[in-house]
Amino acid sequence: MADAAEFYVGYLRMPTRLAAFLRWVAAGLLLATAAIGWSLSRSQNDPGDGVWQDGLQTFVGRVAAAPYPLIRVPSDRPGKPIETILLVSQGKHGAAERIAGLDGRIARVRGTILERDGVRLLELTESGAAALDESLGPVEQARLATPSVAPLGTVTFYGEIIDPKCYSGAMKPGEGKTHKACATLCIAGGIPPMFVAFDAAGRRSVYLLTDPHGRALDDRILPYVADPVEIIAALERCDDLYVLRLDPECIRRR
Amino acid sequence: MSVGYVTVQWNRHKRVYDSLVGGGVALYLALFIIAGKTLYTGAHAISDEILAIRALGTCAYLMLHVVLCTGPLARLDRRFLPLLYNRRHLGVATFLVALAHATIAIGFYHGFGNVNPFISLLTSNVNLGSLSAFPFQLLGLAALLILFLMAATSHDFWLKNLGAPAWKRLHMVVYLAYALLVLHVALGILQTQRSPWLAGLVGAGVVIVAGLHVVAGLRERGHDRRGAQRTARVNGPWVDVGCVDDVPDRRGMTATVGGGERIALFRYDGCISATTNVCAHQGGPLGEGRIIDGCVTCPWHGWQYRPGDGQSPPPFTERIATHRVRVVGRRIQVDPTPLAPGTAVTPARIEEDHHG
Repeated sequence: MADAAEFYVGYLRMPTRLAAFLRWVAAGLLLATAAIGWSLSRSQNDPGDGVWQDGLQTFVGRVAAAPYPLIRVPSDRPGKPIETILLVSQGKHGAAERIAGLDGRIARVRGTILERDGVRLLELTESGAAALDESLGPVEQARLATPSVAPLGTVTFYGEIIDPKCYSGAMKPGEGKTHKACATLCIAGGIPPMFVAFDAAGRRSVYLLTDPHGRALDDRILPYVADPVEIIAALERCDDLYVLRLDPECIRRR
Repeated sequence: MSVGYVTVQWNRHKRVYDSLVGGGVALYLALFIIAGKTLYTGAHAISDEILAIRALGTCAYLMLHVVLCTGPLARLDRRFLPLLYNRRHLGVATFLVALAHATIAIGFYHGFGNVNPFISLLTSNVNLGSLSAFPFQLLGLAALLILFLMAATSHDFWLKNLGAPAWKRLHMVVYLAYALLVLHVALGILQTQRSPWLAGLVGAGVVIVAGLHVVAGLRERGHDRRGAQRTARVNGPWVDVGCVDDVPDRRGMTATVGGGERIALFRYDGCISATTNVCAHQGGPLGEGRIIDGCVTCPWHGWQYRPGDGQSPPPFTERIATHRVRVVGRRIQVDPTPLAPGTAVTPARIEEDHHG
């Protein structure tokens, strides 16, 4: 304990022994502060390998407005003759207005690519992002005429409803509870909802979500966004994209 | 103590204190961000904004622990009193760091959409019935508003105008803010960052804060219990509170009488005086102070009162209650009924001790 003479008054000179004690306290506090800051930061989870690429890219293909804005383009990727790229706008906004009048037409779109888990999105540029284009030959146009759809049966998945823009690199991390509000705003703003499913080994797979009729989902899914949930849905493959036809009534919070 | 209000009554100790707080905050933020930047790189790099949100949030949370631990630490070991002296600045700094955390989080997570960020904050998650899905942001917002209230009323202007008891009660709400923040962390980041280290640190923080308060509280309770037993010796209005030899010269002693308010006794110039134990400033324990320049000096912030009449020396105008006191033989007896603040009481003269 302090010596009887070691009485501290803030506006008077600090007693010598007390000053020495406080120097140790201050050093200890600063050391603890440094150790806690460093170790807490080093305990953060890996946010995943989503990438928001630099530089504008242009794609020519057939645009679809439903269930969500997307473009199907000829692809030279192995086992992927046609690639589906989801279209989004800046911020937490979908691209429905940006592709008005282009539904079902061959068009050129321009923007920056976000990519993760084999799914690509294109954030359209501010201006001149989408326009009709006649540069594709008749053979390629015919290939893009209708998507190849294959039903794969009913599945039960455990995972999380995500907004693919943040998940694919707009935010790192762009999933989980702390991201819930952002993901909700993104999906409510028109960005297509997707589902990231985890298997028993923790492996991830990503699916586009539609309603049971293949249309855009409504606001009933919003309360479940970013929560750990179990869903029962009809799985189908649409070209290179896996789609879950989901009735929002079949979502269970875990 | 002041005769007028100034923004901050700076002195060397406050400058050193604030420099250490500022330096500590800068050190924490820099190390957190450097560690995060080097932990994952390239495609796996954490967003700068999220790193800043986490650095600022954990920093404010840590600072609040220091704020809360300072009080009981100073009760248990007086050498920690200098940490208490300028604690208000640490509290304001905690609010500012928390505000920076909230500003970036609201802008980043709730901005750039079709909804006003503040509307989104209040409406984007209404799962109040689910623990795992609970809107933890609302808990943080409530805590931030409390910290704002604390910071906004931290100046002596509010202390004076609200009165010390009301001001003290208001600032006890900081414990509610702490409880809200523990839940904010437990239902927020701990739901996604399943790190045992992070969970352990949050748990250890709660144990340390609660443990220090319990230990300090038990010690105070023991003191009051011993004081309550003094009531048995009541003799008219006079209550025996101890021996003059228990009070070191030019220092104070605290006595509790019959479970009432504590009384501070001071020995100086061969006399004993008694005043309330509660400083008019922030309720500091005057009995743990000492006599400096002929005045009772509070151990918390150095406020001073004349022991004979409880009045601050001119030009200051603060007053505290005094008690009638007498010395019978070597025993000190006080009248537990406090006199009006500033009432002069003749100090009790100590008879020369011919036994020692």
